Amino acid sequence: MGKNNFWSPYIAGIGLGLTLLATFYIMGKGLGASSAFSIVSAVAVEKINPEFAGNLRYFSRYLSTASPLKDWIVFEILGLFAGALTGALLSRNFQIRFDKAPGMGGTTRLFTAFTGGILIGFAGRLARGCTSGVALSGGAQLAAAGWIFVISMFISGFLFAAIFRRLWS
Amino acid sequence: MNAPLYEYGLFGENVSLIIAVIVGFFFGLFLERGGLGNPHKLTGVFYLRDFAVPKAMFSAIIVAATGLYMLGDLKLLDISKIWIVPTFFWPQIAGGFLFGLGYLVAGYCPGTAVAGLGSGRIDAFVTILGMIAGSLLFAVIYPALEFFYTSSSMGTATLPGILGVNHWVVITLVLIMAGVMFYAIQRFEGKTGRGSRQKVKSEEFQYR
Repeated sequence: MGKNNFWSPYIAGIGLGLTLLATFYIMGKGLGASSAFSIVSAVAVEKINPEFAGNLRYFSRYLSTASPLKDWIVFEILGLFAGALTGALLSRNFQIRFDKAPGMGGTTRLFTAFTGGILIGFAGRLARGCTSGVALSGGAQLAAAGWIFVISMFISGFLFAAIFRRLWS
Repeated sequence: MNAPLYEYGLFGENVSLIIAVIVGFFFGLFLERGGLGNPHKLTGVFYLRDFAVPKAMFSAIIVAATGLYMLGDLKLLDISKIWIVPTFFWPQIAGGFLFGLGYLVAGYCPGTAVAGLGSGRIDAFVTILGMIAGSLLFAVIYPALEFFYTSSSMGTATLPGILGVNHWVVITLVLIMAGVMFYAIQRFEGKTGRGSRQKVKSEEFQYR
């Protein structure tokens, strides 16, 4: 349980690359992730307050369809969860845990996990995708978007890691 | 040439959703097995402690880019029918920058948060809830952001197009860059004893 007995990241990367290539060949588009959560967000808001959701022009791109959750990327994310769960279970790396840096308090981790999530959710909308849809898929297409996003993301990550040294160590 | 298969109408929407689950499954399997559901490994690159992210990411980009353009040149795949990620220069610079901060703070990006949840991480679920809230935040302030969001559009700009060179020139440059980077990482790991094989278990503390 929680073995961290991973494969070489090069091997995993080749597997990811072949999966992405198959997706290009079969579907004519790449992999993605962040927009699935934008769809879930739109559907949840509509359930809670339809009038409020109706006024959100950005969400109309999802809510104007008959069943917004019946979307390719939502199903892809369900598969992603199943694949990760299978990999973790078969390698005995599955363990219910609340992962954080040593010495970080539980409440602090709740805060960083949530605010970090808000930031990536927001930034993914602004950039029209995330590490999967823009960086990985766009990067492989040699799309300018992918390489712009990757460079900006790594600069930012290194910069803020130098500022927040204690965050993960 | 009859690929991309979906674009050539070989199957309908319902079948495409089954395919989504299947490719998603492999996506998640390889992410988890590469250690990319583990926030320590995901953030390790920024502290020069663990290089699983650049190793896996650039290996994947090289394989997919080479395969995509090879299939295209062999006329086995119609690249003009592939949906190319559109470029909006400043929104993607700003988005990438904010994203880098969020990724560091959360310890996950959207896909890897799902991989983290799949390996049992409750904190990854909290990050997913944050992403849902962050998407709503974007939608709420979208009217004020729309001007910026739609600015500096470059359409489906690609690096070979911008540089005015053949795509194999760019792929060769990417290969060289990745090769140099992988070599430097392996040397650095050899010297410092750091690396993706390093035990990360000791760094994991259970929530009590």
